[in-house]
Amino acid sequence: MNADRRSRPGPRLAWLSTKTAKWSVGILLSIPFLLLLNDVRIDLVQPGAGLGPDPGEELVDRLGTWSIRVLYLTLLVSSVARIFKVPVLIQHRRTFGLWAFTYVVLHLAAYFTALAGFDFNVVLGDFSKRPYIIVGLSALCLLIPLAITSTRGWQRRLGLNWRRLHRIVYVAALLALVHLWMQEKASFFDTFLYGSILLVLFAERIFDAVRRMRKKSEAAQSVVRTT
Amino acid sequence: MLIKTKQEIPSSEITPESVYVSRRKFMGQSASAAVLTGIAGSAFGLPENFVSEQGFVKGEPIGEKITPEEYATRYNNFYEFGTGKEDPSKKAHVLTTDPWSLEVSGRVGKPGKVDLEDILKEIDLEERIYRLRCVEAWSMVVPWIGFPVKKLLDRFEPLGDAKYVKFTTLYRPKEMPGIRSIFSSVDFPYVEGLRLDEANHPLAIFSIGMYGKILPNQNGAPFRLVVPWKYGFKSIKSIVKIELTEREPRTTWNKSAPHEYGFYANVNPNVDHPRWSQARERRLPTTIFGRTIETRMFNGYDEVASLYEGMNLKRKY
Repeated sequence: MNADRRSRPGPRLAWLSTKTAKWSVGILLSIPFLLLLNDVRIDLVQPGAGLGPDPGEELVDRLGTWSIRVLYLTLLVSSVARIFKVPVLIQHRRTFGLWAFTYVVLHLAAYFTALAGFDFNVVLGDFSKRPYIIVGLSALCLLIPLAITSTRGWQRRLGLNWRRLHRIVYVAALLALVHLWMQEKASFFDTFLYGSILLVLFAERIFDAVRRMRKKSEAAQSVVRTT
Repeated sequence: MLIKTKQEIPSSEITPESVYVSRRKFMGQSASAAVLTGIAGSAFGLPENFVSEQGFVKGEPIGEKITPEEYATRYNNFYEFGTGKEDPSKKAHVLTTDPWSLEVSGRVGKPGKVDLEDILKEIDLEERIYRLRCVEAWSMVVPWIGFPVKKLLDRFEPLGDAKYVKFTTLYRPKEMPGIRSIFSSVDFPYVEGLRLDEANHPLAIFSIGMYGKILPNQNGAPFRLVVPWKYGFKSIKSIVKIELTEREPRTTWNKSAPHEYGFYANVNPNVDHPRWSQARERRLPTTIFGRTIETRMFNGYDEVASLYEGMNLKRKY
């Protein structure tokens, strides 16, 4: 796809493709991480003050929440670009995606440090025995090739296959939801919330695909008629 | 020499009973007024100084650090008030615990309703410093104030065929936002149970206080169970009903996820929860680099082992 040409903005939205805009998006997405880092700092100075009495659990939990949020925000970027016809937004999708990946990696790192205590027996046990961890880990593994091929160079090299490859993100998004759902114990609020969001994101893509298919067949038919 | 005799209190100074009763009524009213105006923490069923007035036998130190009170009272699982750990401490102050009565029924010779204060008048309070191991792999050390479960059950004269004790928590949606939540998958009222011989074990207590004071609402005021060798969810809070039964009662978590929460729920490092290992625990408060400690069989209370002789604790988890 000729993403560059498609996404060249009109003068009114030109500021959206500036370097400043890109940096702003990155800084915005790093705020939850910086706030968390500050809480960790407070907690190390005065135990319990930043992250509560069970800081490991809290840290892993909050990083997990931000992982799914930023991941779904990444999917939202394309939807908003299509619905409101601001293709320039697509330029920022990479920043969102890479931050989502960052939160996922930090989520896993926090689990290693604060919950598993660097104990490889615990980690191996968890990775082999616990379905919800296997599901979460699978989602992370699926995101690795996407993060690696997120550069312009890889985009060019892979051509049409780049889009096909990056559809894996839908599987990862679904696995993230399953990972969350498998841990719900007494309240299905989070599963309901993120599930609904994902449903809307998927529905928008299906509508878009159907619309494009219709357009294509209409175009084909008009070609048939004219000949 | 003038010998001073102990001066008798003139009868004019003795508070007439009617005034005393209305004082209590007043306290109750002011407590609900406090709730209405949003002031937290004064809706207690027992007078706030009840524990210090009645006095209690100090508990034996166990050689482990007692969890600071602020953590034990702000980090709670009490899903009637929400699933967040801080929900109970933020929301439980609206709970009315005065008056509070307890209904005892089932296989007992003398079933009936009793007033909490009536029971407490005749019972000596003692402090027990116990480890509390949550099924979620964290633990605390809490100085409870209460009395052995057996002391209360015996008053109702359990019959020979009574094998189990079923406990039920208060069900009051008006004051319990967690019950009203449409996303809740827990079947309220909360029910827990013990085998009668477990309940009669001297380590099992009913608690009405902690840290030298009456229980805060979020910790199960005014009256809760504490069974230190079992995972925390067995130690049911804010009890209104006790029933002695012949059959094993269906308990809340066991009904909700039988493969995760058994009826026995004895602390056991050798039986994992499906989602995590129970071999170690995080003693709270900790830090993100804090080390976990080993979980002990029966939470270190080996004296209960005889209750389970010949039982396969991997199957009866």
